[in-house]
Amino acid sequence: MPIVEKRAKPESIERIREIVGTDSVRTSKADLYVYGFDAGMHRSMPDAVVRPQNAEQISQIVKLANEHDFAIIPRGAGTALCGHNTPVAGGIILDLQKMNRIKEINPGDLLCVVEPGVICDDLNNALKKYRFFIPGPASSEAATLGGMVAANASGAKALKYGATRDYVLGLQVVTPTGEIIRCGTRTLKNSSGYQLEKLFVGMEGTLGIITEITLKMAPLPEKTAACAAAFKELVEAGQTVADIIAVPIFPAQLEIMSDICVKAVNKATGLGLPECGGFLLIACDGHPEAVKDEIRKVKEICEKNGAFFIDYTEDAKRIEELWKGRKQMLASLSVIKPEFSTVMLADDMAVPISKVPDAVKGFLEIQDKYDIYIPPYGHAGDGNLHTKVLLNPENKEHWLQAEKAVREIYDLVLQLGGTVTGEHGVAISKAEYFKKERADSIPFMRAIKRALDPKNILNPYKIFDWDESFLSNLRYPVEFSKKEA
Amino acid sequence: MKNSYSDLEKLKNEMLTCTMCGFCKNVCPVFLDAGWDTGSPRGRMTMAYGLVTGELEPDENLVNRIFQCTQCRDCARRCPSSVKCPEVVLSARRELVKRGQAVETQMAVAKNIIHTGNLYGDLEVAYPEQEGEVPLFIGCQHLSRPNSTKRNILLMQRLGIKPRIVKEVCCGFPLEVMGFEEEHEKQVERLKEAFSFDEEPILTFCPGCKVHLEKISGKKILHILQEINNRLAKEQIAKPVNAKITYHDPCDLSRGAGIFQEPRDILKKLGCEIIEMKYIKNASRCCGGGGGILTWDSGLSERMSMARIREAIATGAEMVVTACPTCEQTLKKGALKITEENGNKPFPVVHILDMLFKATKQSHLPS
Ligand SMILES: Cc1cc2nc3c(=O)[nH]c(=O)nc-3n(C[C@H](O)[C@H](O)[C@H](O)COP(=O)(O)OP(=O)(O)OC[C@H]3O[C@@H](n4cnc5c(N)ncnc54)[C@H](O)[C@@H]3O)c2cc1C
Ligand code: SF4
Ligand code: SF4
Repeated sequence: MPIVEKRAKPESIERIREIVGTDSVRTSKADLYVYGFDAGMHRSMPDAVVRPQNAEQISQIVKLANEHDFAIIPRGAGTALCGHNTPVAGGIILDLQKMNRIKEINPGDLLCVVEPGVICDDLNNALKKYRFFIPGPASSEAATLGGMVAANASGAKALKYGATRDYVLGLQVVTPTGEIIRCGTRTLKNSSGYQLEKLFVGMEGTLGIITEITLKMAPLPEKTAACAAAFKELVEAGQTVADIIAVPIFPAQLEIMSDICVKAVNKATGLGLPECGGFLLIACDGHPEAVKDEIRKVKEICEKNGAFFIDYTEDAKRIEELWKGRKQMLASLSVIKPEFSTVMLADDMAVPISKVPDAVKGFLEIQDKYDIYIPPYGHAGDGNLHTKVLLNPENKEHWLQAEKAVREIYDLVLQLGGTVTGEHGVAISKAEYFKKERADSIPFMRAIKRALDPKNILNPYKIFDWDESFLSNLRYPVEFSKKEA
Repeated sequence: MKNSYSDLEKLKNEMLTCTMCGFCKNVCPVFLDAGWDTGSPRGRMTMAYGLVTGELEPDENLVNRIFQCTQCRDCARRCPSSVKCPEVVLSARRELVKRGQAVETQMAVAKNIIHTGNLYGDLEVAYPEQEGEVPLFIGCQHLSRPNSTKRNILLMQRLGIKPRIVKEVCCGFPLEVMGFEEEHEKQVERLKEAFSFDEEPILTFCPGCKVHLEKISGKKILHILQEINNRLAKEQIAKPVNAKITYHDPCDLSRGAGIFQEPRDILKKLGCEIIEMKYIKNASRCCGGGGGILTWDSGLSERMSMARIREAIATGAEMVVTACPTCEQTLKKGALKITEENGNKPFPVVHILDMLFKATKQSHLPS
């Protein structure tokens, strides 16, 4: 869809000031510039940053936007990775970080109610004393619940605990035309019509502004045990993953690392992991007896598949140490080539679990072919593979080379029956391949968007409506001609 | 020259390495205060980038955000990509000061140091020179409190430390953090003329001086607590404190110098029961007194100190002990402000050296 500017004019901004108060509106160049960036690769400037305090104010702003035809981009912590928060047509950023009250924690009903700006880790700290938690993404110390719902975030524990969508029981939403609606329930089950609360999961701010979230809680596991195993070949590690799941055992975490990643972690942290073709980190959690049994079986499967090194522990400190390397992966990778930066290209593909080794092997071949760094690692247990493209972001050639590699990676993923995004979403960076991947459902998604948001107010021109290259609107100091990008 | 940010440009790689992950946001006391991304470390990195690329002008808001940083360095600790955000902020400050963007209050502090050699512009402050075995650098903050400095020196003597005291001038740290580059360089020269770095180690009372002297001289500078912890024995404690206390780690001492165990060891020797706050050791939260923020935005500084005092009160401790004169003063202001609001007695803030002095007072050792 060709982009038509949807700028907020000074008179609209004046009206917004009347709604939320002068202190809650920012229009200085520095503010607009900063809010033009998020954790993704893209950027552009909004016309104002607005911090509403409640649903009523948001409703009034949305109605005004319909009247004055400006875009609204709801925003949480701004940690999304695919251009979710980029105001490509101008408009206002609705910063929801200060709507951050935990309204209710109700262990008896197994639910909690929060405002969208509550940070995932803050919620989990509050839930801890009731012995519950909500599984979060790797960005849980920064990401907000609103952003997690809107992006359907999930983390390393998705195999066992699912994604954010599995925890959403109910929502209060301001619709794109300004109505305040409630969807879902406070019950764990509901068959009462369309599951509208799920429609807003993963909508990336394009279908509504979430103002309250009712979440189911998961019980905090009593015990965790971990096992690290090194294999000569990556395929052996991959086979081990498939065998563990086929038992069936659902580990809380099941991570795979290729040789480059192991080397990088060792170089950066001095952790001394054995040099190998494939490395697995596995954690089982739950009731102490069950954990003991599961991790023993896991260990046997590792041995059967030829692991030449196994480290197995129930000691919390040692477990923490083992995961330290995995946690520092991103930082470690930049140590391989200190003059390069990691950029958010091909960052979170997912393939069917059995295809993990094929995917990793393929990624490594593509890396060699284009002579760039694309170290793969990931949550093998749910088929989610991360790669990090390392390049000099000021060097156009690097980008163009990376673009070719990324296209091959995406083609391979689709060929293996996977998705170009298991975690991070579509927005701008994944739009082109997403459209290939989901060709037949796109007309339906579009129809929903057009019906709910006839004036195209909320986070316009994203997902199926993004027609340009994933190298456009880059936040780095490099420019491409239309033909190049 | 006016439009090229050559100093900041050198740190462009930091800005490009920043993945914008936002992990630094929720540790930054400035972001935690108001919550706008522009007040976060990530926001400051972005604004610095805008200056380098020429997309941003140093307008009032940008300048304010660059100076609203306490240099607590918690962002750098948390950053998974080892990005040096505090250095970027300092470089941006140097650029802005060069362009005449310092405010009156900051210039006044700078002038004090330049013209009098003392942070407070007090020509009188000096401690009587004395011969001794170990060189001591007292620092402006302590010099301006002659009585407490006297006690600190007595305390050292009780513990068998014989400090050598000369007439000193400011180490230049405040000039550096406020971005007065030329003035800072000149001050370091003046310092090196007045104070000899020939002998190591040099002792100091002030965490800021410890970090800065080490940086500019490359010599071994010991914070007094390191030495005290080595020397303090049970029998030297005449009056154990026997109180439930909480300890506030000064940024420069904990994150800056890695000294967080020594004060705790000392407090335990003094008979204190330490109830820790939520944010401690190298993840401690700033008191609101660092980075020149006291003169730049006293309201923000006050809110930060109130937040820290509330954290201390929440532990259930009877008082908060700290080891930095700036932290002590700033926290006291926060405690008073809370008193104004709730009418309760101010929450006690105590410098560890004062506590040590009292506890060792009737020692049989010479004093
Ligand atoms: C280092 C790092 C690691 C990450 N790891 C993971 C991971 O393991 N798994 C994963 O899934 N993601 C991960 N992410 C991506 C990102 O953190 C998640 O998508 C997160 O849920 C975004 O939350 P946020 O508050 O930052 O949202 P934002 O980035 O602010 O917004 C994300 C999207 O949600 C919309 N939105 C936000 N709030 C609302 C609201 N209240 N109503 C309507 N729409 C809203 C925005 O318009 C935008 O489209 C990672 C990011 C980083 C930087
Ligand atoms: S400075 Fe570090 S922690 Fe902060 S956004 Fe950048 S990379 Fe993340
Ligand atoms: S040094 Fe402290 S105050 Fe300054 S940006 Fe970093 S965390 Fe914030």
